[in-house]
Amino acid sequence: MEYKAPVEAYSGVVREVTIGKGKKSLKIGGENILPLHFFDQGSNPNPAKFALEVLDMKPEDWPEHAVEPLRDVISNSVSWAKKCQDFAVDAVSLFLVSTDPAVKNAPADKAAALAKEVAEAINVPLIIYGSGDEKKDVEVLSKVAEVCDGMNLLIGPVLKENYEAVGKAILDHGHTAIAQSPLDINLLKELNVKLSKFFPSDRIVIDPLSSALGYGMEYSFSLVERVKQIGVITKDSMTMMPIIANLGGECWKTKQAKENKKQGLLWEGMTALSLLLAGANIIVLRHPETLKLIKETIEAR
Amino acid sequence: MVIIGENIHVIAKAVSTAIRERDAKVIQDLAKAQTEAGADYIDLNVGPMKKDTEETMQWLVSTVQEVTDLPLSIDTMNPVAMEAGLKACQKRPLLNSASGKTGSKEQMLPLAKKYNCDVVISVMTDKGMPPDVDSKIESIMDTVTYANELGIPNEDIWVDPILLPVSTAGEGQRFAVANLEFIKILEDVLPGVKSTVGLSNVSNGVPDQLRPLLNRVYLVMLGRNGLYSAIADPLDKELMSLIKGEMPKIVELIYKAMDGEDIDLSALSQKQVEYVKTARVLKGETLYSNAWLES
Repeated sequence: MEYKAPVEAYSGVVREVTIGKGKKSLKIGGENILPLHFFDQGSNPNPAKFALEVLDMKPEDWPEHAVEPLRDVISNSVSWAKKCQDFAVDAVSLFLVSTDPAVKNAPADKAAALAKEVAEAINVPLIIYGSGDEKKDVEVLSKVAEVCDGMNLLIGPVLKENYEAVGKAILDHGHTAIAQSPLDINLLKELNVKLSKFFPSDRIVIDPLSSALGYGMEYSFSLVERVKQIGVITKDSMTMMPIIANLGGECWKTKQAKENKKQGLLWEGMTALSLLLAGANIIVLRHPETLKLIKETIEAR
Repeated sequence: MVIIGENIHVIAKAVSTAIRERDAKVIQDLAKAQTEAGADYIDLNVGPMKKDTEETMQWLVSTVQEVTDLPLSIDTMNPVAMEAGLKACQKRPLLNSASGKTGSKEQMLPLAKKYNCDVVISVMTDKGMPPDVDSKIESIMDTVTYANELGIPNEDIWVDPILLPVSTAGEGQRFAVANLEFIKILEDVLPGVKSTVGLSNVSNGVPDQLRPLLNRVYLVMLGRNGLYSAIADPLDKELMSLIKGEMPKIVELIYKAMDGEDIDLSALSQKQVEYVKTARVLKGETLYSNAWLES
């Protein structure tokens, strides 16, 4: 008797989310298949996308080998963002770290003006991450949304503590939201349920928090994998959103990445590849050479 | 379904204060209320009991027996307190509980034999909590065999699979499903044994106002699979109505959800919809979140 390999077809489809406008736009998600299950029925119309980090201030604690490729632009966020394009990024991710009350407590106005300047200076979509301070982010992210009205930036983190205010600003000004929860699938779903009551589900991207290799990456891996399975296999509407893996900062915090360049690139690269295999749809990296390494790996060169 | 009233429990501050101060009225009011609400047993959960163990237990048992004719469930991990409690009971009590842990097995099970009472035996062993259905079955068979060798017949044994909170990230729903399965096959592997669960554990960590719904639905689901008894809140009127067969429409909906039948939610009342959604969470069909009724 001839053996026929079983072929699965799934009922869930990850929502296809568009970030940016017009020529400066890209699509993520849209798959109706599990990651790497090419042998099953279905497809992934939008293979994983990559963004590089830009900070809104000169980084103070980066090792020399992380600063090196960006040395000439690292004091100017706009030039830095433009330079990212030399590395063939799909998007740029601006981190408004200076607005953190524990860093410089920079005002929301200033952050919003910078966001707009960066968004206009580049030819790819812009991702904006606030400092993560749940109170200050209400002010900062709302202002960013307002000043960049209609540009459809991908803005976050929207948290369970501030989703009403931040979500409303993102919605009113035509942007897309990053819903972030602390490595817990039940909390992740709860936030999506609550946000979706007034916010369109096809404008939400999930940030489940990405831990670095050796520092809890397996939790992130299992979580991303589970979100995909529940969305694609069981068609749970509240997990059928694309996933962003913001891992650059986490990886470069580690002792191993700081020690030397090769180790740093591999640390960030292995974390990124693992989360890609788990099903992440867009990855935020720090080092341009990691991006190159991953693209080469994917293309098996 | 045999209901073991859970309300006299040291975790409740009023109860622990009443026990410490020997305030009989507080305890007796709780015993009376549960009796009137239709409980079959009154559980006396006294915790670990560090001092005046025997005297406290005797006081508690006789205080409760003054106002109710129901049999008691003596709920403590302390063997000295356990023996004092069993000795003071007028009706055949329930020893709650023993487990497969060496200490528990060697100290509690002989008491069940000595006082000729029913005994709750949990699936716990020295290795901890067995993680899946197969290992639960394996553990309980070992412990029940040990009990049989002491002369305790299966008919006196109430097996407790141990419920865990359904809200535990990643794991909770898997446990809820495993325990449904465990109860379903228990009769086949250990003919004659009874079963029980600490029902409210399933909703631990869930927002307070949502807990009763999880407890009720899970009890109906476990009941359908053959559960004999539960340590639960008899003062929850809806819970009692459900198990007494006074809400057949809701029970039928829960069964349909268990069977994975298509249910047209738009034709149901909001309350019926909530019961269906809760059943779907407890059978692991939809992912749990605190907002499970809202999506």
